[in-house]
Amino acid sequence: MPIGQRVVFIGGGHNALIAAFYLAKGGFKPLVLERSDVVGGGAITEEFHPGFRASTLSHTLGPLREDVASDLAVEKFDCEILRPDPRVFAPSLTGQSLLFYDDHAKTAGGIARLSAKDAAKYTEFAASLAKISGVFAQICAITPPSIDKPSPEDLWNLLKTGRGVRGLGKYGIFDLLRWGPMAVADFVVEFFESELLRAVIASRGIFGTALGPWSAGSTAVLLLRAAADPHPVGSATFSRGGLGTFTHALAAAAKQAGVEIRTEAEVQHIRIKDGAATGVVLASGEEISVEAVVSGVDPKRTFFQLMDPSQLDPTFALRIRNIRSNGTVAKVNFALGELPAFPSLAGTVGPDGFRQSLSGRIHIGPEIDYLERAFDASKYGEFSAAPYLELTIPSLLDPSLAPAGRHVVSAYVQFAPYKLKKGTWDTRRKALGEAVIKTIAEYSPNFADLVEASQIITPLDLETTYGFTGGHIFHGELALDQLFTMRPVLDWARYKTPIRGLFLCGSGTHPGNGLTGASGANAAREIIRELR
Amino acid sequence: MMQHYDVIVIGGGHNGLVNAAYLAKAGKKVLVLERRHVLGGAAVTEEIIPGFLFSECSYVVSLLRPEIIRELDLPRHGLEILPLDGTFSPMPDGNHLWRMNDHAKSIREIRRHSRVDAEAYDEFSKMMTPMCRFVKPMLSMVPPDPTTLNPRDLKQLHFMMQRFRELSSDERYTLIQLMTMSSADFLDQWFETDVLKATMSASGIIGTFLGIRSPGTAYVLLHHYMGEIDGAFRSWGFSRGGTGAISNAIAAAAREAGVEIRTKAPVGKIVVKNGRAAGVVLQSGEEIGANVISSSVDPHLTFEKFLEPSELPSDFLEGVRRYKFRGSSGKVNIALDALPEFKSMPGDGAHLRGAISISPSMEYMELAYDDAKYGHYSRRPYIDMVIPSLTDPSVAPPGKHVLSCFVQYAPYKLAEGTWDDQREAFGDNVIDTISEYAPNIKKIIVGRQILTPLDLEREFGLTQGNIFQGELSLEQLFFLRPVAGWAYYRTPVDNLYMCGSATHPGGGIMGANGRIASQVILKEWKKPASQRGSNGAQAAPEPAAPAARSAKESN
Repeated sequence: MPIGQRVVFIGGGHNALIAAFYLAKGGFKPLVLERSDVVGGGAITEEFHPGFRASTLSHTLGPLREDVASDLAVEKFDCEILRPDPRVFAPSLTGQSLLFYDDHAKTAGGIARLSAKDAAKYTEFAASLAKISGVFAQICAITPPSIDKPSPEDLWNLLKTGRGVRGLGKYGIFDLLRWGPMAVADFVVEFFESELLRAVIASRGIFGTALGPWSAGSTAVLLLRAAADPHPVGSATFSRGGLGTFTHALAAAAKQAGVEIRTEAEVQHIRIKDGAATGVVLASGEEISVEAVVSGVDPKRTFFQLMDPSQLDPTFALRIRNIRSNGTVAKVNFALGELPAFPSLAGTVGPDGFRQSLSGRIHIGPEIDYLERAFDASKYGEFSAAPYLELTIPSLLDPSLAPAGRHVVSAYVQFAPYKLKKGTWDTRRKALGEAVIKTIAEYSPNFADLVEASQIITPLDLETTYGFTGGHIFHGELALDQLFTMRPVLDWARYKTPIRGLFLCGSGTHPGNGLTGASGANAAREIIRELR
Repeated sequence: MMQHYDVIVIGGGHNGLVNAAYLAKAGKKVLVLERRHVLGGAAVTEEIIPGFLFSECSYVVSLLRPEIIRELDLPRHGLEILPLDGTFSPMPDGNHLWRMNDHAKSIREIRRHSRVDAEAYDEFSKMMTPMCRFVKPMLSMVPPDPTTLNPRDLKQLHFMMQRFRELSSDERYTLIQLMTMSSADFLDQWFETDVLKATMSASGIIGTFLGIRSPGTAYVLLHHYMGEIDGAFRSWGFSRGGTGAISNAIAAAAREAGVEIRTKAPVGKIVVKNGRAAGVVLQSGEEIGANVISSSVDPHLTFEKFLEPSELPSDFLEGVRRYKFRGSSGKVNIALDALPEFKSMPGDGAHLRGAISISPSMEYMELAYDDAKYGHYSRRPYIDMVIPSLTDPSVAPPGKHVLSCFVQYAPYKLAEGTWDDQREAFGDNVIDTISEYAPNIKKIIVGRQILTPLDLEREFGLTQGNIFQGELSLEQLFFLRPVAGWAYYRTPVDNLYMCGSATHPGGGIMGANGRIASQVILKEWKKPASQRGSNGAQAAPEPAAPAARSAKESN
């Protein structure tokens, strides 16, 4: 048992750090190579304007899968996890608004103002989602089975999952089968009648994807997310100091476990000899020979940028090329002179509740058709003039992020296609920022006047500056044909690759769904088994 | 003394007639009740304009199961399928894409647009064959219930799993993609020529309210591809005398087998006596008794119109209400006194004898969908045209022609106005669209018939104008069609069965639904009535009700 082998990780994102942590625990000597000067990948904190710091890209946590969270115990490495309640505030243009609390009954109370029927349905919905998400959580935790030679463990996992599925009962199973391929717009109609509520729930099925609420299959994405957090609107989990603090804590935990981490160490090439990974070559020219390489970067980058594709089996190469990984999300960080006002809150909570109500996620996208229209633009290579936005104001929970009395607003902007039909992202960047401000101003009239500075990150920036091929924040579209045994590609969904000693642990692998650490943890399990 | 039959089949469409024919051949005394004056349902030919025979709704034969043609000896009863050769896609820039049944010719034509695609097209066809081979057996099977531990269902599921595992890795890869992807994304992997992808993807949206970019449409593409795969043009073609001739041939076979058929006999309600279907009452008030009722009309009519809510379990009723119809297409049938002249290929020619597809680009197709999403018919719709009179002169006066146009999208629910006041505008819009490719069209029109989704509902009893009696979307296929747990041609009402397109394997002139349903009915015939018809297992919560167990195990 060649313990103590050197294993190199390409990229210092959360999945790589988590996988490295488990390998170190398993007795290996992991070395994490991060090209930028900080670890974290998509979860970093940067000062984007003097005195203003924000979670540059991802602005909330998954949250981490429970076992991963307890194994790495980030709290021990001065990372304070913040969980605001309410989790989501959703304003509409009609002056109405909804607040989603941890407590379903409390949420239902607010929903009742829109529809008594929906209020009653909401708790029922939460319950059925919780039930089904259990099964999905199970599926997210296992390694996709091999179809040709299922191992005893595969069969055991399938049996367990099967039991979980049967536990849903006849109607539960049929609902699962029905919902998966459904358009999320149809899904929410089965439960709710008020448009605002429908839109908030449905948005979970389209976030980060190239799907509109009317696209079939979007419900599967929603259910996948529910596996990470069964709450109807998902979680609103922050870390004090921005997500950078979180990944630094991961790094600290990893270091303590024996992981070596080097920043400003960009891997340029993976050395391959006789179909096996033998080492990596850094931009500096330095060569590191290793027993195994684990790539935390996306599959396309791994196989087409970091090695000579001609070394790949053509079928495999074709499938990797076919991965749909053109992003649809842009990110804008605003530095504000003061807290923006959301008048529609007045009808929902007392003035004393305003700050609290805004400290979670703010959903901008009041109707299903609004979300669909936002999507339409992207189909024709244009970004939405009225985009679907998710805002956070992290400086409310953590004043240290902005000068006293000032605030940081972080906005996910959808839809912003990687490929523009007219102009380039460099020429259109400003226009995107303006569209976002204009949209927010519809709900927060004083917003535009408060903006002191903004940082606009287009899908192209995500690729060039942060290394997400196609600007896809999930390393590849979350779609029925790219999940589970198809993620990243059929026959190679078990974190191994056709190159001996080369593994994947990033979001491009199963389940690959936000900052949950599931991909990294699953990968570590397989890698350890392989290398032992 | 009230008349009494072994079986009453509601609806004289192709599935109803097939169902009746098989039951009669098995010695049952069968009565078919058709609401209209003519048989065929949506597979019908009528002389709307003097001298012109329109295949009003369905206009090509696609998937009619060969075993049905054989077993019912349809050719002897007058069925004659004429070739429909190829697909001609004119383009606004004066170019075109013309694929023919002659594979080599098609490849040469595609090479004109892209050498790469010409090669890919060959591979593509090779790959689609095993795909269709995989799916075809499922078209003639009763879907298994994935939720029971019933040995018979498990065996079927295992059988399917085995067949999947027997596929090569590449075949699995493609099959999973076909089952989950959008036809646009799927085809993007294979081809680069826009018009080729647009025209091919068109068959992925027919009968659905989805755009070519929506997941799930790749399956529909496969569903329609299957016809072509039967090789020869036998499976894609016209029937001499119009599509109605198919229904008439099946009707003739049925009558020969002893089936009694009554037209202008609209059913008012299904009579249920202590939980069992016992007959029907016509709108005329006449009551007719039967041991078994087999309904070929859609679930909305069968369960919400012909039955009382009190006669059905609430969860089933909920499933029926949830079942998605939302028709998305219309039909414009045009009588011409000359042939259309296409800019990109003037004059008469073989290109007019096949399908003519207005699907110039992917963006065109997607824009057509976007209009419909927001409640407007497509300003520039996808149109699939045929001129049957070129292949079958009997449908038009000498020298004159019939132009049949299938038009998508036309949403059943309009954002503004009603179909009654937008019908003509819709028709004009279709003709304007065609005239952009065949400028002479307006000058040669003798008359036209416009069928909006509302007309399809009113005249042909297709709820919300869905031509397949319900969307062909993944959540409404196989063991989920029409209602999860009720994909077995049975219903919660004993002795009441379904045999129409709303059942597996769905729409198109296949006849499979009617045939499989007849097998289910006959299988259960000898059982005590308490175990017949309704499949208790599907209604009862876990564990499956004993009645259903025995119902299954005993066959």
